[in-house]
Amino acid sequence: QNLNSSRYLRLLIMESTLEQHLDDTMKNPAVVGVLCTDQQGHNLGCRGSLSDEHGGVVSVLAKQAAALTRDPTDTPTVCLESESGNILVRSHGTITVAVHKIAS
Amino acid sequence: TAALTAGLERIPDQLGYLVISEDGVLASAGELENDEHTAGVMMEMVRTASRFRLPGSTDPPFKRMSILEDFVYTVTVSGQKVFVVKRQNNQQEPISV
Repeated sequence: QNLNSSRYLRLLIMESTLEQHLDDTMKNPAVVGVLCTDQQGHNLGCRGSLSDEHGGVVSVLAKQAAALTRDPTDTPTVCLESESGNILVRSHGTITVAVHKIAS
Repeated sequence: TAALTAGLERIPDQLGYLVISEDGVLASAGELENDEHTAGVMMEMVRTASRFRLPGSTDPPFKRMSILEDFVYTVTVSGQKVFVVKRQNNQQEPISV
């Protein structure tokens, strides 16, 4: 029981830390959207212009980009440039982060 | 293919390039010469990125896709062809004031 509740507490803290990071990222005036996904493209948290529907594309792009490197520990950044700004995608371990930035 | 690649040859710092269509590699040079693996991954990435849509936007998902590492791959799509250029990554050091 004790073990379970301490684990639950730890998860709660992790989640609130992630939410705080998402909020902090959005404070940058050039950032209009941010999204965290797992390797399956499930949304772990998002803000602004990026949402659930982008999780799949974002995680697949990061995975495909990793196939371009000879060193499996290398993690490339993918940038989609358009009239609506830049979408930057990068994996950190099992988590993939996407940031939507507009020209500031 | 000379007309297809004339512009690519002139890009400063380019280490190599690929011109790809649905049927396969049309032209290649430098470090990407005959690089079927990179060509295949790039086509997959273009297909994936084409599915990306921002809410309320009717613009194409991207004008240009870059993959940054020790070097940079820059990818554009024009006339049913995918153009990939590999360049050195001349990252600007952030200036601290």
